[in-house]
Amino acid sequence: MSRATVELDFFGMEKANSGKTQFQKFLDRRRSFRGIQGAISKMNPELIKSVISSGSTNRSPVDWRKSFSVPSSPKEDRSSPVSSLPILNPAFMSSSSEDGPDTAPLTIFYNGTVSVFNVPRDKAESIFKLAVEGSSKNIESTDSSKISNPSSEQQNLLETRNGDLPIARRKSLQRFLEKRKERLTCASPYAW
Amino acid sequence: MTSQPGMSDVILGCVVPYIDDPKDRDAVSLVCRRWYELDALTRKHITIALCYTTSPDRLRRRFRHLESLKLKGKPRAAMFNLIPEDWGGYVTPWVNEIAENFNCLRSVHFRRMIVKDSDLEVLARSRGKVLQVLKLDKCSGFSTDGLLQVGRMCRQLRTLFLEESSIIEKDGQWLHELAVNNSVLMTLNFYMTDLVKVSFEDLELIARNCRNLASVKISDCEILDLVGFFRAASVLEEFCGGSFNDQPERYTVVSFPPRLCRLGLTYMGKNEMPIVFPFASLLKKLDLLYALLDTEDHCSLIQRCPNLEVLETRNVIGDRGLEVLARSCKRLKRLRIERGADEHGMEDEEGVVSQRGLMALAQGCLELEYLAVYVSDITNASLQYIGTYSKNLCDFRLVLLDREDRITDLPLDNGVRDLLRGCEKLRRFALYLRPGGLTDVGLGYIGQYSPKVRWMLLGYVGGSDAGILEFSKGCPSLQKLEVRGCCFSEHALAASVMQLTSLRYLWVQGYRASKSGCDLFAMARPFWNIELIPARRIVMTDHVGEADVVEDPAHILAYYSLAGPRADFPETVIPLDPLAAGVEL
Repeated sequence: MSRATVELDFFGMEKANSGKTQFQKFLDRRRSFRGIQGAISKMNPELIKSVISSGSTNRSPVDWRKSFSVPSSPKEDRSSPVSSLPILNPAFMSSSSEDGPDTAPLTIFYNGTVSVFNVPRDKAESIFKLAVEGSSKNIESTDSSKISNPSSEQQNLLETRNGDLPIARRKSLQRFLEKRKERLTCASPYAW
Repeated sequence: MTSQPGMSDVILGCVVPYIDDPKDRDAVSLVCRRWYELDALTRKHITIALCYTTSPDRLRRRFRHLESLKLKGKPRAAMFNLIPEDWGGYVTPWVNEIAENFNCLRSVHFRRMIVKDSDLEVLARSRGKVLQVLKLDKCSGFSTDGLLQVGRMCRQLRTLFLEESSIIEKDGQWLHELAVNNSVLMTLNFYMTDLVKVSFEDLELIARNCRNLASVKISDCEILDLVGFFRAASVLEEFCGGSFNDQPERYTVVSFPPRLCRLGLTYMGKNEMPIVFPFASLLKKLDLLYALLDTEDHCSLIQRCPNLEVLETRNVIGDRGLEVLARSCKRLKRLRIERGADEHGMEDEEGVVSQRGLMALAQGCLELEYLAVYVSDITNASLQYIGTYSKNLCDFRLVLLDREDRITDLPLDNGVRDLLRGCEKLRRFALYLRPGGLTDVGLGYIGQYSPKVRWMLLGYVGGSDAGILEFSKGCPSLQKLEVRGCCFSEHALAASVMQLTSLRYLWVQGYRASKSGCDLFAMARPFWNIELIPARRIVMTDHVGEADVVEDPAHILAYYSLAGPRADFPETVIPLDPLAAGVEL
């Protein structure tokens, strides 16, 4: 298989590479990220490129740890360009390094560009979900890696979400609604 | 005859024990030293609204013969997952004092506090022979091992209450101990806990041994397994919990005790609902919060309950259900309508409550005393109706959900004003809206027209600092204020606190912070503790292991205390020390 030479811009990497130190990505309305959705969206663009190129030359996974210093937590990397990375999803990393044979190529056609990833099945499904949701959700860019709390930051936090403190749910009801969801989506309601 | 004018001690001694109301007792204790001491000797119950406002030592020195104590810890916001788990509210120092010195104490109620197994053991060992009531209400930090000690050593318990506590479950032995050691239990409650290892045979044993068993609220437990329990619990009046996991037809064998009049069956659906019909007309209280009924089901059930006094449900009841309620339940006193699912695909079809339902309710249920409701739409007129008709209302709470972009009739200034003027008995008031929901003028109305209100929750109200400043010129009785998502500056908040003459407790989340956090010092004064919970990012994992990261803006918590600043701050809580900052008091 020939080397993948197409430049991927699925995640708006062009913008990221043009001088911004942070890789800004959308979060959903509740500012949450789940699994691969979060991991990919916040990955070092260099990392993503390496996956593409390694995926097309050889099926075996790249050991990213050799290529880059991938931070395990945002605190460690304030100065480097990848300083904005939140916790990288370990599930993503381990699956790529272990399950060579379990991954399959995922080809994405977007806006005139084509790119190929080697991903395991469940991650592929998450990406599909991501694509579906990405088109309907609000897209907010935000600085997602700061943990501490100087007052000016409080100011920023409040300003960006004035009117956006979500109405908090009562714990007991939250738990019940989760159980209700299970019962309603379960195929056989009369379990045992 | 006495040598001084006024009542003799003997007469006073006979009269004072009959005075129970805490406010009256407060007044009695302020008259003179003699009356203070008599009150101290004879006061039976104390509620400490925040455990850090005083110390166990002080309590003992004043009320040595206390029989009943209620202690509250974490801010109310903890029920909504907004407070760090390790915030505080440890019962240990209190339990130790109780064990040593409070020899008359028979009733203990801890609410939103951290309780350890060792605390339960100390309490059980020292007070087990006399303890009649133990309530661990929305508490955390203990396991079933602690409950085992309680079951073994507190054999005089009439009430064991664990509702909504987070309990580490090792086994179901504790219930067995309770079953074999106790014959006087009247109230057993582990509702909304996740205890699954309890055995229904132990429940049945309790029902057989405890002939006065009147109220039982449990966690999920198959209803079909409880047939024996229901048969044995012959004087049962209240039952909540259980679970329906089998074919609906099989539940026709379930026969409920004859006096059952307060009921809440978890996961009850349309097909199981008919088992309630035979005694629906006896029902005084119905809990449908955790049922699986739709709007039509609500209508069908409610119309059969003409004696209903308390209803709790989700907004799936809909406006239509409220209209049926208004027509059928003329004795309704308390109504709570919680927010249902709004996740896509999980919502209830007709599950919206709006001004239409509220107006019907106000006109139909004239005895309403408590109304808490999440609405999807609202008008001034509907609030005016409540002011006109709900003359017995003491507690009103309205939350405007945020799903609809357009609300029929905002701002609600006039409606709120008319509601407050009409509901003259109002003591507790909550209004949670959105930007534009209530102007500064409306906020001023709240201050002006709530003479008796002691507790308020205000969310997304007002438009500027002027609003809160005007508000705080009024509210003469306001003791506890919670504010969320408002645009007020630290400076305005501090100034407002200084104007609210009865205020003893303030909680705020979502405000305009100053750069240094120092504007809050404008409210620095003796005995006033100020604490900050700085903005955090919380990772919450739900029960299927999905992680959710939630931004949690900073909180301010301020309260009067006779005990000085806390000594047990976790990392997430920062005290503001005016002395350290060089602020002059």
